[in-house]
Amino acid sequence: MNNDESQLDIASGKTRMEVAYGSGDGDDDAKAVVARKASLGVLFEQVYRPWNGDLGPRWVRNYAIFRHHVYGIFSSKGHRYYNPFVRLSILVIFLSSLTPIAMIFLSSTIPGEASEWLTRMWGINRYNLWGQVLGYYPRNLCMWPLLTALVVGGMISDDRKNGTSAIYFSRPVTRTDYTVMKFLSASTVLGFVIVFSYMLYYSTSIVFRGEGWAFLIDTLPMFLGGLFAGILLVFTYTSIGMALSSISQSRFFAAIAFLSIIFGTKLMAFLVEIVFETSILYMLSPYDSLAHIGQWLVGIPPNYDHSIAFSIVSILLYNAASIGLLVSRVSTLEVTRE
Amino acid sequence: MTTESNTPAVVIDHCSKWYGNVIGINDISLAIDGGVTGILGPNGAGKSTLFKLLMGRLKPSSGSVRLFGVDPWESTSPYRRIGYVSETEKMYDWMTGHDFVSTLARLHGMTREEANSRAEHVMDFVGLADVQHKEIGKYSKGMRQRVKIAHALVHDPDLIVLDEPLHGCDPIARTSIMSVIRDLGEQGKTVLVSSHILDEIERITEQIVILHNGRLLALGNLHAIRDLLDKHPHRILIRTDHPRDLASAFVGSKPVYGVRFSEDDALEILTNDLSEAHSILPEIIVKSGIKVHSIENPDDNLDSLLKYLVGGDS
Repeated sequence: MNNDESQLDIASGKTRMEVAYGSGDGDDDAKAVVARKASLGVLFEQVYRPWNGDLGPRWVRNYAIFRHHVYGIFSSKGHRYYNPFVRLSILVIFLSSLTPIAMIFLSSTIPGEASEWLTRMWGINRYNLWGQVLGYYPRNLCMWPLLTALVVGGMISDDRKNGTSAIYFSRPVTRTDYTVMKFLSASTVLGFVIVFSYMLYYSTSIVFRGEGWAFLIDTLPMFLGGLFAGILLVFTYTSIGMALSSISQSRFFAAIAFLSIIFGTKLMAFLVEIVFETSILYMLSPYDSLAHIGQWLVGIPPNYDHSIAFSIVSILLYNAASIGLLVSRVSTLEVTRE
Repeated sequence: MTTESNTPAVVIDHCSKWYGNVIGINDISLAIDGGVTGILGPNGAGKSTLFKLLMGRLKPSSGSVRLFGVDPWESTSPYRRIGYVSETEKMYDWMTGHDFVSTLARLHGMTREEANSRAEHVMDFVGLADVQHKEIGKYSKGMRQRVKIAHALVHDPDLIVLDEPLHGCDPIARTSIMSVIRDLGEQGKTVLVSSHILDEIERITEQIVILHNGRLLALGNLHAIRDLLDKHPHRILIRTDHPRDLASAFVGSKPVYGVRFSEDDALEILTNDLSEAHSILPEIIVKSGIKVHSIENPDDNLDSLLKYLVGGDS
């Protein structure tokens, strides 16, 4: 586009005209500029070129679903769209989960009693390993449930609302693949924040404190106990969140329902405990059942009066019911099974 | 991608589908392979039910559906060779057309490079090369329909199922899409296309399937089906200033069994053998010396055919 054309105001239909009776500057190369006619049609080359490649196997297709959901956290170009607020929240929660690492680093740089106090507060021990994953405040009050609600809320409800599940089911993607890969995508994001930050906490503590093999051998069993508890937490939160997402057409409903289950059951059990002095209703709370199992795995005295068996059964039932609901709802997406 | 065997792309064998007491599809049997086939019928005829059965979204109440020899309800494997454009399918509006098509190509198992290359080609094929990097949310209805066709073609399927692909498109987009569909049929793909607009189906193909109240009314070439309808004579409409004089010239000719004056300047010739009537037409007109303005076949088209078959319900 030359300079004259760049001054056209096509939208208003006005053009700049420097011609006719013009005199003085620019007279020599003055010329009329007129708006070009808008195109009413388009012709395109229609040459269809067959493709002779081989389509990849099932895992390639499944990986495409996985990456679509996970990479969307970083960029929505070609991937699932996550609201910038959700991305920011995930980042803040992840950075918050790393705060003990900063404190341990600080303890390794300063001498004396302050260092000992910092190590006692944030260093590797049974209580801190348990607390990194299962501590109620701030992690299970402010961070993990909110993270789950934000990530899992729209996983299936968005497809239900927008009808985009048809995109998957008119392709060689089974409902099992669809469900498993969505579940895996959500749990990967949660796992990255919850489990990876736990592993990072343990490994950087060893590095910053300059611990040796003896420390590693001493603490590894409790680390593994906490690791298993973290994986169980991620799995359970994901399955409950996915089930709620599969029964609704609103990510908001799924998110609020998840938070209600986590906080509501705990609050109810807490009130019952105050009044009746029994902890048995904590088995209705997914968080408390996980915390109870975590205490048992890491090897710290339980906060609960009831048997660990109740908490294990509770978590098994929560997961079984959630996955059952999820499978049942996904199997009816876009389908009339009569 | 090549056809692995001689199994027809679509085989429906005595298939019925009931929704409670309501019949969606009633004992339909057909086999389709190669070229473009138009699926026609009034609202509620069973077109959508048929497509849902093909895409494994409904289970037949009785009978069977096979795509390339495989039951789509039991296995998703036929979808490797099928491109489907749903009438109501939504898209990811935040993605660009190219990203959307390449994402779906990857759901078929393509690598990133293959998916990008194919996405570029099919977007070009449907005439969206210039706007392929714009967000789908900014596309017009016609462009969105073309994106749907592009994503259905990205893995080079052997069977393409298009449910109302022209719905909501402007005339230019309609012409473009019809041209794309014809082109695919000429390349040997099996294309099933449904539309309410009969004229458009006629411009795409002569191979049709007509459904009504869940039953299969007709299957085959449009003109061949029309010829089979003996009880509905063909009409030839001749516009002339002297219809009565011309009518006398036709009376007694073998394929003509009646004449009618529907308008002041028009003569309707009734015949059961359209081609024979057309062969004698020029000679009779020339011999009569009467000036003729136009000759039309008002009921040798899909609209009339559908009216005859479904009782004027189209």
